[in-house]
Amino acid sequence: MRVFQWGNGLRLLAAGLLLASVLPAQTLQDGDNLWKAGRYQDANEVYLALAEKNPTNVEYRVRLGRLSLDYGYPDQAQGDFEKALEIKPDDPGALLGMAMAAAELYEGKAVELARKALAADPKLVEAQALLARVALEDNNNSRAAEEAHKALAMDPNCVQAKAVLYSMDELADKKDSAWDPHDARGYLMVGHFFMLNRRYEEAIAAYRKAIALDPNLYPARSELGIQLMRLGQNDEALNQLKICFDNGFRNRSTTNTLKLMSSYDRFTTFKTDRTILVLNKKEAALLHPYFESEMERDIAAYEQKYRMKLTRPVQVEVYPDHEDFAVRTLGMPGLGALGVTFGYVIAMDSPSGRPPGSFHWASTLRHEMSHVFTLTMTGSRVPRWFTEGIAVHEETAASPEWGDRLGPDEIEAIKNHQLLSIAELDRGFIHPTAPQQVVVSYFQAGKICDFINEKWGWDTILAMLHDFAGDAQTTAVIRKELKIEPEEFDKQFMAWLEPQVKTQVEHFSEWRDGMKAVQLALAKKDYDTILREGPTLETDYPDYVEGGSMYEVLAKVYADKGDKAQAIDQLMRYVHIGGRNPDTIKLLAKDLVDAGRKKDAADVLDRLNYIYPEDREMHEMLGGLYFDLGNTQGAIREFAAVLADNPLDPARAHYDLARSYNLGHQTDKAKDEVLSSLEIAPGYRPAQKLLLDLSGAETSGTSPQIKKN
Amino acid sequence: MKTAILLLAASLAAQATTFYVTISGLGGEPDYDQRFKLWAEDIGSSLKKAGGDADVITLEAPNRDQIRAKMAEVAREAKPTDSLVLMLIGHGSYDGYEYKFNIPGPDITGAELATLMDKVPATRQCVVNMTSSSGGSIDSLRRQNRVVIAATKTGTEKNATVFARYWADALRDPAADVDKNDTVSALEAFHYAQHKVAEYYDTNKRLATEHPVLDDTGKGEGSKDPTTETGDGRLAAAFPVVRLGANAEAARDPKKRPLLEEKEQIEQAIDQLKYDKAGIPEAQYKQQLTQLLIRLAQVQEALDKQ
Repeated sequence: MRVFQWGNGLRLLAAGLLLASVLPAQTLQDGDNLWKAGRYQDANEVYLALAEKNPTNVEYRVRLGRLSLDYGYPDQAQGDFEKALEIKPDDPGALLGMAMAAAELYEGKAVELARKALAADPKLVEAQALLARVALEDNNNSRAAEEAHKALAMDPNCVQAKAVLYSMDELADKKDSAWDPHDARGYLMVGHFFMLNRRYEEAIAAYRKAIALDPNLYPARSELGIQLMRLGQNDEALNQLKICFDNGFRNRSTTNTLKLMSSYDRFTTFKTDRTILVLNKKEAALLHPYFESEMERDIAAYEQKYRMKLTRPVQVEVYPDHEDFAVRTLGMPGLGALGVTFGYVIAMDSPSGRPPGSFHWASTLRHEMSHVFTLTMTGSRVPRWFTEGIAVHEETAASPEWGDRLGPDEIEAIKNHQLLSIAELDRGFIHPTAPQQVVVSYFQAGKICDFINEKWGWDTILAMLHDFAGDAQTTAVIRKELKIEPEEFDKQFMAWLEPQVKTQVEHFSEWRDGMKAVQLALAKKDYDTILREGPTLETDYPDYVEGGSMYEVLAKVYADKGDKAQAIDQLMRYVHIGGRNPDTIKLLAKDLVDAGRKKDAADVLDRLNYIYPEDREMHEMLGGLYFDLGNTQGAIREFAAVLADNPLDPARAHYDLARSYNLGHQTDKAKDEVLSSLEIAPGYRPAQKLLLDLSGAETSGTSPQIKKN
Repeated sequence: MKTAILLLAASLAAQATTFYVTISGLGGEPDYDQRFKLWAEDIGSSLKKAGGDADVITLEAPNRDQIRAKMAEVAREAKPTDSLVLMLIGHGSYDGYEYKFNIPGPDITGAELATLMDKVPATRQCVVNMTSSSGGSIDSLRRQNRVVIAATKTGTEKNATVFARYWADALRDPAADVDKNDTVSALEAFHYAQHKVAEYYDTNKRLATEHPVLDDTGKGEGSKDPTTETGDGRLAAAFPVVRLGANAEAARDPKKRPLLEEKEQIEQAIDQLKYDKAGIPEAQYKQQLTQLLIRLAQVQEALDKQ
């Protein structure tokens, strides 16, 4: 554990060294007592002093690591355990520490490390209990129970094993469990399982039990504060986190959450009967109409599709600063990269928080909103693979252009037969064996839901959700609703999937080489080579719409050769496959306008509202197109967006909005806007003309009284 | 009043020449050489297209003697009623004491550039230093009746800048003319470029390494937020850097003078009304503003028909 990462860095280190030199030598027991009393910094100093004075003592180093783990720094703890293993490569405590740190970080190697620790010390009950914990995290209940009972056979009072069995009962809604640990740290683990299963209210109850038994158990208090914050219960969340902070428990998640909460005055809230939208003030005016309209649309579509009504408004929080959003996903498994759902609360990145074109916010919102429904329908008892699979399915169900395209990681996984069986798919989300396995698992889960929907129908998906609400396990649900064994399902799924991806999988290496050759040819303006090789490369991997896609390359070549029609054709294919580069989309729109296809140009540009609405040029162009096409509402929306985006030319922006209102015969609003325009720029000719038109004034009208200076 | 000052300025400027001297410095590598040259050409081209009484001079990677010679030539030709706009594009450096503009051969210092400008008798001057570290030149360049614009707030902002790219855009984009008087003032061009620079860094998710500032009081360090209401910004608002329309021509036509006088009176009244806005009930303000704007529009329509 490195003190300087704990906040008061050098000062503490210096104080520690000073104490070590002037005070009587402290013992491991002293450190343990301080830790137990919740005095993490002091305990750290004692352990650190002991470890530095006794550099060959493994136990001191392991204790430092365990303290770091408890403090919420598993990555730092790994460093201490590694140092311990350098001293003694097969030290069971250090191996166990490595396993625990890996489990905290949801790393797939946790099981292997725990088994190593057990091999080094077959009586190491914590390692055995850890195997139970990891199995339950993977929703492998039978294995979790088996491993927990092994731990209890080693030590009938093993709190962690009891907590795993108790959590299983609680998650299955079995009351009066025989395994109630009656222990603060036991309830801390129970809270962890409820959090992992998105049952935040029950997690909160478990953490409350923990701190009732041990008020100094700050990891539980901090988790309580974080879960309260996730559910929007901010006053108590702040109170609990402040208690942690004031008592020296200032780990990353506590301080970052406090920091995020202190920034809430930068946000503003918009409410309707069904929606609560929280936006950063600097982009609220721009994003509000687009987000609120999509929220309403998603809720209406899902209420029909899932045949249920939400009982309260859904809250969506949109963070332009990715670090703020990241605080929302601290300590959670999986990607959590774009959005995350806590019951009726969705937190997500703002489109402005990501490079333009890299993030389809409406698709992400659609994804997260489906979690609100599936979690509500099942009381959060739906397994991760199914709720994520449905969410991915819903993205492309909304529009084939939405959602993620087939990527190189998925192609490699299919090629190397690395997709998981349906019974094990949860493991791909919780404990991936490689970082890309999470992405692949999202893809696989989505495709599985596509497959079930296609072969068994939507009613079967709903029936499965109802089964999961009753806490049925995946294998049982497959047997019940699909009437086949899980192994047979896996076979049928692969038989369905493989033809869809056959070309990409078989030609991926050639495609990669071919694309390199095309880029070289492009640099040399060797257009003949590109025109000869490009169409085949496009067919070999049609999903590739990232930078330097074949569609964009061919469009450029055709445009340079003066063949605008072919260039447009390529870029139309690009957007229909799901290409999202704002510059490319705007280029296509301009080409379509030049070709006299204003309606198509408007349709193409409108996509950007759901990808990167912070593009003022796009709103100006789209507003103009809608105006020319007589689409009053569209023109008003787009020109209002220009105005909301701190325009360079506010007089023009007000004027454009005024003429749109005028087009829609909303004369009063048109007058207000034209006055705003002329207030900024009294000599603005088009606005003057519109004002005269709106006022019905004659040029020979009487001059008003001029107040002289 | 602001409008009155602008009209006066436009009228004065209409009878005088504006000397535009654009200098692109050394890029140090082909990409920057090309970029600086392109931006300088772009600026020259926009200014030539705008027409009017303008002497547009563009120097590409000149050495110190060539700059001295050209500025001496301008000093000989310029009259006190003329204006001078000096624009510097390229890399600059600042060692804590002295700013230098990177050119072939020995670099030229901010102090020497100031001396060369001081020798030009044109009363109204504007210098737009768009180089890296240009904030370090403000101390040397500022003086009474001179607008000083720098791409960076201090000499320590040393990364290559993009300000010049957007300054060039401001000279041809009608959007830069915020008050729609067919003239882009130094203040309007500054705000346009500043806005675009901020957007550039924001969109590219990069930490902004340049923060443009403007000084026209002759004594400040430069303001990031100059306005006509604050100290910095008043002179810049009245300094036309490019004319986009036929304003100047209209001012010279004696037949239009009565309408122009009425137009000026209405504009002054609008300015006064806006100034008094806080003390007038909203409905009354709106009614008076509407009346004045309608009359102004009628006068403008009559002017356009003549």
